[in-house]
Amino acid sequence: MPRVQFEDIIKTYGRVTVLKNLDLAIDDGEFLVLLGPSGCGKTTLLNLLAGLLDVTAGRISIGGKDVTDLDPKDRGLAMVFQSYALYPTKTVRGNLKFGLAAHKLDAAETERRIGWAAKLLQIEALLDRKPAQLSGGQRQRVAIGRALVKKVGVFLFDEPLSNLDAKLRTEMRLEIKKLHDDLKSTIVYVTHDQIEAMTMATKIAVMDAGVIQQFGTPDEIYSRPANLFVAGFIGSPAMNLRPATIAIAGGKVAARSAGVDLDLTNYPYVTRPVDGQDVVIGLRPEHFGEPGASVPDPAGMFSLPVQYTEKTGGDATAYLKFGDSLIATRVDPEQIGRFKQGDTIQIAFPQGKAHVFDAQTGRWL
Amino acid sequence: MAIRWSRWSPQFALAPAVAITVVAFIGAIVWTIWLSFTASKRFPDYTLQADIWKQYTRLFKDAGWQIALKNLLILGVGSFLAIVFGFILAALIDREKRGEGIFRTIFLYPLAVSLIVTGIAWRWMFNPSFGVQHFLHSIGLTGLNFDWLSKGETAMYGIILATVWQGSGFYMALMLSGLKSINSEIWSAAKLDGVSFWRLYAEIIIPMMKFTFLTCAILLSLGVVKAYDIVVAMTNGGPGQATWVPAYFTINAYWVKSNLGYASAAAVIMLLITSAIFLPLVLLTAWRERSREARA
Amino acid sequence: MSSIAEASLNDLDGIRAPRFPRKPKGITGRSIAIIVFLSICAAFFCVPLYVIITTSFKTMDQIRQGDIFSLPAPFTIDAWWSAWDNACSGITCTGLKVGFFNSLAILFPSLVLSITLSAVTGYALALWNVRWAGGFLFVLFICAFVPFQIIMIPLIILSSGLKVYGTVWGIALVHAVLAMPILTLIFRNYYKGIPQEIMSAAMMDSGSFWRIFREIILPMSGNILIVVLILQITSIWNDFLLGLTFGGLGTQPMSVVLANVVITTTGVAAYNENMAAALETAIPPLVIYFVLGRFFVQGITAGAIKG
Repeated sequence: MPRVQFEDIIKTYGRVTVLKNLDLAIDDGEFLVLLGPSGCGKTTLLNLLAGLLDVTAGRISIGGKDVTDLDPKDRGLAMVFQSYALYPTKTVRGNLKFGLAAHKLDAAETERRIGWAAKLLQIEALLDRKPAQLSGGQRQRVAIGRALVKKVGVFLFDEPLSNLDAKLRTEMRLEIKKLHDDLKSTIVYVTHDQIEAMTMATKIAVMDAGVIQQFGTPDEIYSRPANLFVAGFIGSPAMNLRPATIAIAGGKVAARSAGVDLDLTNYPYVTRPVDGQDVVIGLRPEHFGEPGASVPDPAGMFSLPVQYTEKTGGDATAYLKFGDSLIATRVDPEQIGRFKQGDTIQIAFPQGKAHVFDAQTGRWL
Repeated sequence: MAIRWSRWSPQFALAPAVAITVVAFIGAIVWTIWLSFTASKRFPDYTLQADIWKQYTRLFKDAGWQIALKNLLILGVGSFLAIVFGFILAALIDREKRGEGIFRTIFLYPLAVSLIVTGIAWRWMFNPSFGVQHFLHSIGLTGLNFDWLSKGETAMYGIILATVWQGSGFYMALMLSGLKSINSEIWSAAKLDGVSFWRLYAEIIIPMMKFTFLTCAILLSLGVVKAYDIVVAMTNGGPGQATWVPAYFTINAYWVKSNLGYASAAAVIMLLITSAIFLPLVLLTAWRERSREARA
Repeated sequence: MSSIAEASLNDLDGIRAPRFPRKPKGITGRSIAIIVFLSICAAFFCVPLYVIITTSFKTMDQIRQGDIFSLPAPFTIDAWWSAWDNACSGITCTGLKVGFFNSLAILFPSLVLSITLSAVTGYALALWNVRWAGGFLFVLFICAFVPFQIIMIPLIILSSGLKVYGTVWGIALVHAVLAMPILTLIFRNYYKGIPQEIMSAAMMDSGSFWRIFREIILPMSGNILIVVLILQITSIWNDFLLGLTFGGLGTQPMSVVLANVVITTTGVAAYNENMAAALETAIPPLVIYFVLGRFFVQGITAGAIKG
């Protein structure tokens, strides 16, 4: 079955190394999202899998078969591109048909597949139009259709939603998710948008600087970020990361930062910290208690002046001055009008929600 | 291992072009250089001469070749008028949009006409008995001479006039596309700042178009080295050898003198002149590429 | 907000009388000066055309009176007919028509050959991954500018060996060979502008060099094909040197026959016939220029600076 596997992949352009000894394997039916900032190598990795680029060293296999030296058309893949890459001189039907160019099917089967994909994507009425006569969302559907007709085991998506407006993006997100649920095919999906990653993926590989920083389910990535990069990259507003020092006294472990102690006694340490160790603590804005409200047995209490507030419709964030930096905390948008710059407010951080990272290695402790 | 057709098929498709380049261009150039070291007359003779530079020493002593080189220089300098004229036309057309289409069409049509036809037309106008000169004299301007082609001292100027007439439109078109690529905000900014017309062109527009000017100059020089048709049509080299140019000399050495080795030597010198002009073009392209990358 | 404002302004039916009416802009003195100057230049450009057209319709008697700028009186097309049918070059008096048909016979095979070859080469260099493409492009760039004389003698020897020297096929072949570098560069630059993702999609869908060319790339080349076609038609039609070098007796293109008629003929010059012959030769490219001027300009500028 199409198990996609990368083994010790190295990709260099001249003296620039884009991918460094990368290993990754996903099982049949997974929805893998390659997530990372631009330039992290995620699109390169996808193009290597597609065969549009050649690896410098390493092995790629699909379903146990080594495809490293195969032409793109022979790898049993289909791909949806960021700009859709529809053939401008062909009709929608012609585009779908050319999707089967390498498949040597008889006319009846070709027609059957085009009909099937068109029905599934609701583009039957558009089959005789040219791409220039379609809206962005319609082009997107045609691009997906051209991939679907191939009926292959693995679909590749290269930032397919980045050219759509916000509303369409949400719709297409749901639709691609639904297609995956219906077709049970393996999907490798590249994006820099963490919302897309969190909502669609069954597995996320967070990449940075040519290295996979963490590979896991969306929940694992969110609740147990493997290192500082993942912690800072996932979540919006971003996790508050503050340098702190470990203080162990009488069986109690605490992290001290800018005069505030955060109780970490019950933290599920991978390696136990020592007294005086430099760490970075990570506090998600959404985990803070409401200002002024009491949290039973908080890990830490902060009493901080408001620097400024931000309201984005259903969400609101207050930025509080903490030492020489800021801490973001999510606030009830109904309440945010009460806070003026300079007001000092009391907020509590609950037990069991903090993250601790080694200040030297950046790893999750 | 499977054959990767994506690697091989483009290389198969490129084979004819590579074969042509290797045989008809690189091979032929090497072949001609070799011939220039031989004493080939009517037919090629591939044994090298004892003094392989013999054809070249003879060439540079040849009065006809010296005239040809001198004329090349005159033609080159004179033809630069076409660039100047082309730029003035382009600047004026670009400034005054009224009638742009009509003027452009008129200034460019000579380019669609072959140089033979151009030459024949001008030769007719230079005709001393029935041409423009006769007309000028008949209206009382007897002091003016317009039978340039019949005198050795002025014949080259006649050719230059026809060349400028034929080529100005081309440089105008290149300049116009250069002018149009200048950001329209610069014109607006100059207008707001109250910069005068002359200063705007002298200090801003012309420096911004230095690539276009350089390209035009190099293209013009390459064209001048190739000049042949216009000379044949207007003067056929005459009077005497007064309008010989290297291209004419080379063809003449082959067809009239039937001296293959000598013609090859002249052709090699033409190639050297072209390379001397071409080198800046290569550097210019590289420079442009770099400055484009630097901007990106 | 602004669209509402614009809409109400554009809605002329409902507009009330403006409170601040403005005078329409008049033409400035500078504009008039520019237009006058350009018109004088335009006249300079038109004079030779005017002169050859009027001369071609004159009788020799009128020409001998010596007023080159006068209009034809009487008006006659005899010169046009004799130039076409029985003008003499050397000892043969068959007019330009032989040359005209030779030029056509050279034009078609040479167009097909040169455009097919350079389109495919440009496509392979622009869109396929060929390691040595960069070096080859550089060589082509140089080849596009070498003077013809440096390769003339070997080409004569080679075409004699191929038994095409002195035939229209030989001329057509040499045209195709000489045009290959520049046309390849033009096609290559055009194809470089095709989005990389379209080519990637085609690689995943088909992967076949020829099928992608035929079904995807060629249909996208409409514009550049017209530009190159016009560039080639005018340059082949207007060529003199190749026709002179590779044409044999009776296979010379029109421009060479024209030159023979006008320049090398001895005896009394029939100026009206000469001008008619020149015009007959110039008409095909001029028609193309006036009908498809836009593509013509693109062609010559693309031919000049690529990159």
